[in-house]
Amino acid sequence: MKQLKDGSNNLSNTVAIPTDIQFLRLLQIHDSAFPIGTYTQSYGMETYIQEDDIRKKEELIAFCTTFLHQNLVYGDAILIQEAFEAAKNRDIDRLLHLEELCGAIKLAKESRDASVNLGRQFIKTVAPLVEDAFFDEWKSRIGANEIKGHYAILYGIYCSVNGVDAHHAVLSYLFSSVNGLVQNAVRAVPFGQNTGVQAMHQLSEEVVAAASIVAGLSEEDISNNALGIELASMKHEYLFSRLFIS
Amino acid sequence: MLVSKTPRIRHHGKLEMVFEPRRGYTRMPHVFQQPPLKASRELYQGDDPTATVYVMESSGGMVAGDRNDITIELLPGSSARIIQQSALKVYRSHTGDTCVQTIDVKLAEEARLEWMPEVIIPFAEAKFQMETTIHLANNATLLWGEIIAPGREMRGEVFDFTSLKSKMKIYVEGELIAFDSLHFIPENMNFQELGMLEDALYVGSIWLVSDKADRLDLREIQEELNVGEGLRAGVTRLAGNAVHCRFLGVNQWRLMQEMKRVFSKLSALI
Repeated sequence: MKQLKDGSNNLSNTVAIPTDIQFLRLLQIHDSAFPIGTYTQSYGMETYIQEDDIRKKEELIAFCTTFLHQNLVYGDAILIQEAFEAAKNRDIDRLLHLEELCGAIKLAKESRDASVNLGRQFIKTVAPLVEDAFFDEWKSRIGANEIKGHYAILYGIYCSVNGVDAHHAVLSYLFSSVNGLVQNAVRAVPFGQNTGVQAMHQLSEEVVAAASIVAGLSEEDISNNALGIELASMKHEYLFSRLFIS
Repeated sequence: MLVSKTPRIRHHGKLEMVFEPRRGYTRMPHVFQQPPLKASRELYQGDDPTATVYVMESSGGMVAGDRNDITIELLPGSSARIIQQSALKVYRSHTGDTCVQTIDVKLAEEARLEWMPEVIIPFAEAKFQMETTIHLANNATLLWGEIIAPGREMRGEVFDFTSLKSKMKIYVEGELIAFDSLHFIPENMNFQELGMLEDALYVGSIWLVSDKADRLDLREIQEELNVGEGLRAGVTRLAGNAVHCRFLGVNQWRLMQEMKRVFSKLSALI
């Protein structure tokens, strides 16, 4: 693992354990019933399912592990962490840069659109619940079509202004992203509920490992090596029958 | 074993090319070359005003710590096609130093550049980093291709390099519309894993930016792709009139044939 670059990213320095109410707020926004449309996105997994490459629990775990470690960790998770920091510093220029980057790294159109759709749903849902001038300013930029409103950036800002620490912001985001995929696989493959529960139980350990890797990364490390998933996401657009929109 | 005490002098290849239209043809009035990089003179096919230039690497490959910097500028209305004379070989990094290649491209209004795909071959224990940055003005056209090999496959050298970092950034009118960043460290990665390269060994990419991109029927292009037998490919629309195709192949020849077909097809459409 890389050396931790910054004391503020160092877990051993993290004193911020979420308060009860922050913890519950995180649970709520990551609930699969939270209306931002997670259940409509497969990020290319549906292409694998249709090509019959995800039939067993082990294959589902393998797919999710690659997505987690090679896509989310080096993409959205770094951006959340950076957006969190930029929001803390009230650095709009930095956030605009991260917003542009978030769209540019998502080469597959449907994944890029998913990021914007989730973002737009997220802000619509949480806006009435957040009282913060900085958050409102970002929202008004989305409203004015000045920016797209990518979910990872918004989420980083949201956690920052609500006092959730970066580590728990990233950890819970990774968990809910992988959990969303597992839930969608349970419906689409289909798997039994227990298979989904067991897969997620196993993947949770990967999520913990992934979150600690993210803490030592920065913008320089952004990459996407999950080229099979990216290709599947590109091909998803042209499938004839689809349960998911990405 | 004899070890030379004098450190090897690192190569620092430089190539600067500027293209502009003159009397109906695109010329390259300015070219600066520092070995081992070299450019041919402009070549033309019939009445086509497009200048074709071959880029050569006379050293036969990059060795530990070598550096190549290429800048290409196309002034308004110029049209150029650049062809690499051969595959780029990156040798074993015996000193631990990384080889670096940067390519910076600037396309002015109504300029058009085609960069034909050639293969980058990182040998066993090679360390390579490449950064390509392309800036396009309004109405400029780009068609760009590249292929990354896993090593000298015929010698059984597959993902034996130490590290390969590739960053491709495309800006249109100052806005970053695509950032493709790969960072392969074979020692820490299982390329065969589901969602990674799986059975593929070669990674090919084509990038297109054109005013005519919105008229391209990507579904038709996707369906015409000659895939199967170890080749997978996909096409997608990027922001700002741009299109990206990715190819993942088991066999180099088969991947290159299909990429060349798609490249020529797109070239004719834009």
